[in-house]
Amino acid sequence: MAREGESRSFRRKFCKLCFDKVERIDYKDDRRLTRFITDRGKIVPRRISGTCARHQSQITEAVKRARILALLPFTSEQYR
Amino acid sequence: MKTYETTIIFDPGLEEARINEEVDRVSQSIAQASGEIVEVQRWGKRKLAYNIRKRRDGTYIHIKHKSPPELIGEMDRRFRLNEGVLRHLTVLAVKESPRAAEEAARTAEGAVAPAGAAPVTAAAPAAHVAHEEKD
Repeated sequence: MAREGESRSFRRKFCKLCFDKVERIDYKDDRRLTRFITDRGKIVPRRISGTCARHQSQITEAVKRARILALLPFTSEQYR
Repeated sequence: MKTYETTIIFDPGLEEARINEEVDRVSQSIAQASGEIVEVQRWGKRKLAYNIRKRRDGTYIHIKHKSPPELIGEMDRRFRLNEGVLRHLTVLAVKESPRAAEEAARTAEGAVAPAGAAPVTAAAPAAHVAHEEKD
């Protein structure tokens, strides 16, 4: 008995950063990092984005640094 | 001597001359500690992602430098005391890996690399959409 959600087409997720052969994720590159945060400013989990472990940990570090420098939000203000 | 990257966000109200003065002071302290400035980037005035001390903008200065580790603590202390500094961050600079350098050289050569890179950018947004539908 398949629930509604399970009938969606399954497509293997892949790490987009590996696909692009990104060597290093820079905390100064806020344009790239915005792709890995939700509209609330949270870091997108691996199970959603499909990012590999190596790149995910790089993203996490970079996002946290970018937040300190106010390049990225800690939280989106409109939801407050 | 280690290579660091220091980013400083100054109050947007400060004039250019005042900021230059502050940057000079930092450079001097690095030079005094027998360090070396590798690069100074001025990102100019940028909008902050959130307000800091009720300011919406900040003037960003990014300095790459080689300094003795003992200096970093002292630098941090000075930035904290400095009213004109909204925020600062010092991190270790990543060593440029030989592979990254190689890649940069390849893209500089042109011809082969852009042809290989084109389908990558074309395929990525499509994949992104597929994932959004899933969740």
